[in-house]
Amino acid sequence: MIEVYAIADHPGPPLPDVNGVRAVPAGRIAALCAAVEETALSPAALWAHEAVVEALMEDRDLLPVRYGTRLADEAQVLRAVAERHDALLAALDGVRGAAEVSLRVVAPADGPAPAEAAARVHEQLAGQARAATVLDAAESRDLLRAAYLVDRGGSAGFAEAVATHQRAHPDLRLLCTGPWPPYSFAER
Amino acid sequence: MSTAVADQEVALIDLVDRLLGGGVVIAGDITLAVADVDLVYVQLRALISSVATAEDKHLMPRMGSAL
Amino acid sequence: MTDRILHAPPDLDLFTRDQPRLDDAFPRRINADPENLERGLAQLVLTIVELLRQLMERQALRRIDGGTLSKEQVERLGHTFMELDKRMVELRDSFGLNEEDLNLNLGPLGNLL
Repeated sequence: MIEVYAIADHPGPPLPDVNGVRAVPAGRIAALCAAVEETALSPAALWAHEAVVEALMEDRDLLPVRYGTRLADEAQVLRAVAERHDALLAALDGVRGAAEVSLRVVAPADGPAPAEAAARVHEQLAGQARAATVLDAAESRDLLRAAYLVDRGGSAGFAEAVATHQRAHPDLRLLCTGPWPPYSFAER
Repeated sequence: MSTAVADQEVALIDLVDRLLGGGVVIAGDITLAVADVDLVYVQLRALISSVATAEDKHLMPRMGSAL
Repeated sequence: MTDRILHAPPDLDLFTRDQPRLDDAFPRRINADPENLERGLAQLVLTIVELLRQLMERQALRRIDGGTLSKEQVERLGHTFMELDKRMVELRDSFGLNEEDLNLNLGPLGNLL
């Protein structure tokens, strides 16, 4: 089985030597993939997969591919990528030089659930990002969950913005994680 | 819960939702192998797509899952 | 992995899983007697499987509620989860486990499943 990790430009910089990752080129993009054995789903497997994607992202822009995308052989990978070439390239253009930052907002243990305040925080943070999207809640306590597309290297500054909002909102609890590859901005 | 453990857990929560719910879908089936004891492959013949993009696609991504 | 956190409040527990964590629960319930080790391992694995099944189901239900799926797709989803459920029962039976064996009690946090 061939596992696909990400879509990147073709041609591109030399690939890092990680997991036997190879590029399957199609036009102006390439699928970055590797032959893999069956791997049981576990936190370790997920983190290992993520480590590969992030190693690739160190010196190229990419669209991370959904986990578990496995195809029988490189010919199938080529066909899948070629079929979607223009859409993939357009999506890749949308995330150039950017990474994703995540936000979750919950109410404190004994407090009310000010959803409106959470929405306002999101609006303001969105104004500081290249793009923003609201995601499904991760856990039932989430008042809001969102992702922001920020410039690479901009996550520290974004974290400060979140800290500022936290200080301004004692009635909320803000959790910010990142930087991540742009999973939430990969599909258009 | 210790801080270190909580740290790991919240990071994992964000990771799982991204890997399983985000990323670009290029193949019809998503295959997840779970259970070392028995490889259970149940292909979820359902169309689960990113909320905003269901209508955009000509080919609806299908999320197969081995649970 | 933990260097992902850019900003977090002191009460980080608010963001951890609603469902109690597996690691705390397992040692209390897993039978580590060598003779029963395989069963204990199956118990562990199947509990994870069940958790993930529920996560998948939750995501699927969100899509259904979101109204973005056609009637046919919803039917197919329902059918698939039924099949999955059947398979889970088969797996449980083959290891001599029942539903309660996969439902770990986590004290103040209630039951896992």
